[in-house]
Amino acid sequence: MPEIHVVRKDNRHLYASYFDPYFRLRHEIYVKQRKWMALDRPDGREIDQFDTEEAVYLFCLDKGQLIGAMRAVPTLLPTLMSEIFPELNIRGPIHRPDVYELSRIFVIPERRGEHAGPRIEMLLLTAIMEYGISIGVTGFSIVLESWWLPRFERCGWKAHPLGLPRMIDGMSVLAVLVDCDEATWKSLCEQTGLLQPTLTWQGLDGISRQALPDVFLHLPPAAQPTQ
Amino acid sequence: MHGTEAYWGRRALDFVDAIEASKTTASVISQFEKVIHDLGFHAYIMAGIPTPGQSLASLTLANGWPAEWYALYIRENLHAVDPVPRHCLATLNPFVWAEAPYDRERDPKAHHVMMRAHDFRLAQGYCIPIHYDDAVGAISLAGERPYLDAETKSALHLMSVFTHGRLRALARPAPGAPARRRLSEVEAEVVRWAARGKTAWETGQILGLSERNVRWHLEEAQRKLRTKNKTATVALALVNGEIML
Repeated sequence: MPEIHVVRKDNRHLYASYFDPYFRLRHEIYVKQRKWMALDRPDGREIDQFDTEEAVYLFCLDKGQLIGAMRAVPTLLPTLMSEIFPELNIRGPIHRPDVYELSRIFVIPERRGEHAGPRIEMLLLTAIMEYGISIGVTGFSIVLESWWLPRFERCGWKAHPLGLPRMIDGMSVLAVLVDCDEATWKSLCEQTGLLQPTLTWQGLDGISRQALPDVFLHLPPAAQPTQ
Repeated sequence: MHGTEAYWGRRALDFVDAIEASKTTASVISQFEKVIHDLGFHAYIMAGIPTPGQSLASLTLANGWPAEWYALYIRENLHAVDPVPRHCLATLNPFVWAEAPYDRERDPKAHHVMMRAHDFRLAQGYCIPIHYDDAVGAISLAGERPYLDAETKSALHLMSVFTHGRLRALARPAPGAPARRRLSEVEAEVVRWAARGKTAWETGQILGLSERNVRWHLEEAQRKLRTKNKTATVALALVNGEIML
């Protein structure tokens, strides 16, 4: 079973060896595959101005290999939405201690879709909710490609639009604010079949965390066959 | 222009807020019909995209086509030659009907569908593809001379996708609601074969459906039973008496 590790400034030294492959993977996925050429750098690593000390990463590790990741940036600092795509948000700027902006959500190509075990993208979506609840976050702002919306709806992520979709580099993109709450987390756990929290908080003992609710897998009520 | 942009941005967000607060399908549909009417669209459909042998009716989430057009479309299996649903399989982005490519010389049937649509005042349209891992659907809107400028299209895109999502959410049974039969005949049939260990491809061979078609029915069964994979769908369908072996 893959593990999802919380990586932030307090424990970053424990994951030093993962950062170079991580930035190279981002280059591979965002520059080479998805052709976001504005992110191209000659050193073959995709690093931007939001990869600061304050950025929090979720690393999905399987047998020591990085197979997926996600980045969360506090909205009290500059974000993609505030600096690069402000026109996508017409509800007003978001600078709140309880909202983080998610970006660079990816799974390596060979681990996308269905494999043994839960889908990695579902694990990441579940894990970030767990992180949010644990540290008192109530929402995530995201700039994303519009075709994700029905997928969010299907897995129970409640997304509120912040403005109209726009065509950017040939893709329809929009800004949303997603609720981070216990109900969504529990529902995601049930969907992925997780019975307990999934995050690994290595070297983060100093961080105070809020308790998570219990998760139970509800057996469906057996109905009498209708004849 | 900037004024229009601000107006439709606000109006689309207000619309989404209103339908998220609406508790019934009828209320969501009537708000949706009103807003698209204001933009010059008098017809729409929200459905899964059928493949040969599959019925559009079983995949329809909301039907606002003129009744005669819908009947004709189904009777003559027009979805099989219509370039609009075909283009949905090839793109993630919304498009206007006129952008759905077809070769007028080599594909006269495609041209014929587009021309017949005119008879029902469906001269111009806008289509939003819906892509899941295992199924494709679409929201398609049409009118005689609808607004199709960039701002209108953005607003329509947003409002349509959230209407589609809200209708799906309202179609799900409330937690704890009494179990009853929720699967259609064909969905139950497909789940029954899954329970016997058949793959989607094998089930397609047995029932004379395409593999994608079978996957769509499984997806619909999954949605209705609020399960997340084939195994759970089979288990819940058995326990609730939706299927029997």
